[in-house]
Amino acid sequence: MSGLEERRRWLSIARRPGVRFAFLVAPGALFILIALVLPLLSIVVFSFWRTQSYELYADWNLNNYRALLGEPAYRIFFLRSLFTAAIVSFVSLAIAWPVAYLIAKHGGRYRLLLVLLLAAPFFTGVILRITALQGLFGPIGVINMALNMFGMGPIGVLMYTQFAAGIGLVYLYVPFMITAIYLSLVNFNFELLEVAKINGAHPWRAFIEITWPLNWIGTVIGLVLVFIPCLASAVTQRFLGGPQATSFGMSLSLQFGETGTWALGSAMGVFLFLASLIVILAAGRSINLKRSGFTGALDR
Amino acid sequence: MSLRAERRIDLAAFSSGILLIVLYIFLYAPIFYVIYTSFAADIVWPFPPSFSTSSYEDLFASSLYAKALSNSLILGLGTAVLSTVLATGGAIGLLRYRNHWRGTAFFLFLAPLFVADLLIGISTLAFNSRVLGLPGNIYSAIAANAIPGTSFAFLIILSQVVRYDWAMDEAAMVFGAGPFRCFAEITLPTIWPSVLGAFLISFILAFNNLEISFYNLGAIPTLPSVAWGSLRFGLGPELFALAALVNFAVFIIFAVMYLLMRYQIVSFGYRGR
Amino acid sequence: MPQPVLRLHSIVKRFCTVTAVDRVDLTIERGEFFALLGPSGSGKTTLLRIIAGLELPDLGTVEISGRNVTHLPPYARHIGMVFQNFLLFPHKTAAENIVFPLRMQRLPRAARDERLAWAMKLMRLQGLEDRYPNEMSGGQQQRVALARGLISRPALLLLDEPLANLDRELRSEMEVEIRRYQKELEIPFVYVTHNQEEALTMSDRIAVMRNGGFEQVGAKTEIYTNPATVFVAGFVGHANRFEARLVEFNGELARIEWKGTSMLVPRPRDATPGAAIQFAIKYEDLEVARGVNGFDPTNRNWLTGRLRDVIFKGQTANYIVVLEDGTDIVVSGDPHGLDLKPADSVVVHWPITRGNCFEL
Repeated sequence: MSGLEERRRWLSIARRPGVRFAFLVAPGALFILIALVLPLLSIVVFSFWRTQSYELYADWNLNNYRALLGEPAYRIFFLRSLFTAAIVSFVSLAIAWPVAYLIAKHGGRYRLLLVLLLAAPFFTGVILRITALQGLFGPIGVINMALNMFGMGPIGVLMYTQFAAGIGLVYLYVPFMITAIYLSLVNFNFELLEVAKINGAHPWRAFIEITWPLNWIGTVIGLVLVFIPCLASAVTQRFLGGPQATSFGMSLSLQFGETGTWALGSAMGVFLFLASLIVILAAGRSINLKRSGFTGALDR
Repeated sequence: MSLRAERRIDLAAFSSGILLIVLYIFLYAPIFYVIYTSFAADIVWPFPPSFSTSSYEDLFASSLYAKALSNSLILGLGTAVLSTVLATGGAIGLLRYRNHWRGTAFFLFLAPLFVADLLIGISTLAFNSRVLGLPGNIYSAIAANAIPGTSFAFLIILSQVVRYDWAMDEAAMVFGAGPFRCFAEITLPTIWPSVLGAFLISFILAFNNLEISFYNLGAIPTLPSVAWGSLRFGLGPELFALAALVNFAVFIIFAVMYLLMRYQIVSFGYRGR
Repeated sequence: MPQPVLRLHSIVKRFCTVTAVDRVDLTIERGEFFALLGPSGSGKTTLLRIIAGLELPDLGTVEISGRNVTHLPPYARHIGMVFQNFLLFPHKTAAENIVFPLRMQRLPRAARDERLAWAMKLMRLQGLEDRYPNEMSGGQQQRVALARGLISRPALLLLDEPLANLDRELRSEMEVEIRRYQKELEIPFVYVTHNQEEALTMSDRIAVMRNGGFEQVGAKTEIYTNPATVFVAGFVGHANRFEARLVEFNGELARIEWKGTSMLVPRPRDATPGAAIQFAIKYEDLEVARGVNGFDPTNRNWLTGRLRDVIFKGQTANYIVVLEDGTDIVVSGDPHGLDLKPADSVVVHWPITRGNCFEL
């Protein structure tokens, strides 16, 4: 084939939408497939193995799962993490919706800045922020010292309790929820609310009938973005929770840290993953694309 | 009934505003605490206030923190670049072209959001060391961080590209622009705010990442791992100073952004709706 | 005598330094099709939004069916509205969209279903109940929007340029249909548009708006044949305009002088001899003839020129005539008429009683 013919053939291939799609999408999709899925598969495998003296042996067995499901400690850790994650998610939801709505509707040209302001605290790093929370809320922290000055006793529940860990988690994850809902609201046509009003809907009714369903996908993404990390969180509980607040995540990281029991840790990881998967499937089932107002972007 | 209804709506907006302010205070109170403590003589118990810049002196004298900072920067930048590139391609490809792989690809791009950092950390650790036989290094850490990074970047860019008018690309093609030219001249200048946002977010997430980097880097110091380490042996004052400096830099950037917005020099994608 | 359905008293609305609506009074009776006609920025959409309750006027009152609703929110006013870009709820089917106002009014299920069936039959939407908006054509969506606006039998239906997003043929069909619905249901329609043909086709009365005020309000034939101001004459219908000078009065007529030619025209209100005036005459009021011998010059004005072009428009043709001094005049007439070709010498003539004259 001559040079010109070859170039033409190459161009006509490059023009095909399937090829273009692959060129753009494949790198990312394949990257995630390899970098995420393969390691996950490997820990599934390891969960059926055995650790001895910090080494993994391919001794296929179910002991890890027996320990996980049998010993009450792990069950308690898990349920505690589950409960905390659920509460933190809903509290974040309650806080995030009004804030995201305000920024999206009334933020004007400062919208981006207001959202980025939520992200700026992340630059300080999780450890420092949690330490700072200790400094503020702790028994000898700012708040309690101030209360002391007014003769009131320190509020014990603010530190080294599950409640404190909950506040810490809300503190860390509420910006994610706000961002998810904000990104959804930014594509929401607020004029539809005017239509609803004219057709007789009071403001609260308009919210339930129009705003909430059309932004349901954003809400679900936000809930997932908060729930999943909370379920696995370890650092926050370690510093803010008391001895009664050991989380599933803390126990998991122990298996890959001090105790070196990778097999058990893998089993715990699989368990965590399955729990997350169930949550996501439930969330996914709640989404009906036709009912979400996606009128066109995905229909091309 | 009428005036009450109007007032009710204003009340809702007003109380949302209060909530917003309280939220920002809540988010930033610990930051101010950190900055305040960086100037205190005793970082464990900085009350009563006593001013000192010893934290900063320690910081500039320490080579460990310099190393950690540069590692964190490399990690952040590497992850941000990788995530943004992958996510931009993904968002544009998925919205522009129909294909029966669409659903699968969409799912793949969002899948990392459903896997906790801790899980990503331990699974990549297990995989790398046991299956590939590789020790952790900065590249594996960048790759691991790029997993959630790409997801977040994808979400952010998607939210803007969903509103993109593809007819513009077709117009550009009619006037002679090839696909790369079209992207550089038409698409990118339109979606740049979300690309920038995606870059920033994936940078921040990687810069400060604890769980993933911890399991993938081992001995290589990053700011979060140094912070973690120093926690066990006593919190170093350098940390506070560094955090204060970082926040100061961020503040400058935001102040500049604010001024640009206020005097409408750059609109950051806001089109006055 | 039954009370008017809508009454506006001295409505004023300002946005910062711009006065969008400037002391407007309006009364609309039951069964009327009323058009608010004007260019963009004239305030017509703002006025409509004030009637709807989406904007609060700075001054003045709005009365619907005798009730003062000025400060009532939209959902308390019992009105319907149709929008330019339809604004159907994308997450609801056609049936759910239409029945929405009845659900807000908490009408019982049986009554809702009955009304829904009636509305869908009226708008010929049977079979589309479970379609989502993005699964319907523009025309179908607009009919769903109309059904939604009418299903609660509101006191008033407001329409904000509803046909602007439809293609021309569909638009012509819908013009006739919308007027039919209005006459059948006897609900007053307030129709905002910048398209004078729409306004003339559909409405009974028209208000021509400019800069926040009414230039003229009246029956559509009145607006068309007797425009009250220069602006209305130019905006409604197509007219040729001559800037001339008033020489003297002549009974009901006046003699004007335009570039050396003397013409007799209907007398302008309140002008004095010597004043600068504008004479406007509609395309269809003019005629073209081959020469001065081709018509009876009694009580007519005429101008000589050369035919420049003929633009065929189907039922009519526009003859573009260049006068001696270079001015273009457009004459609308029978396309099969005189056997004229471009460059032919022609004479443009019209009765002295046609046209309108305004002081500048």
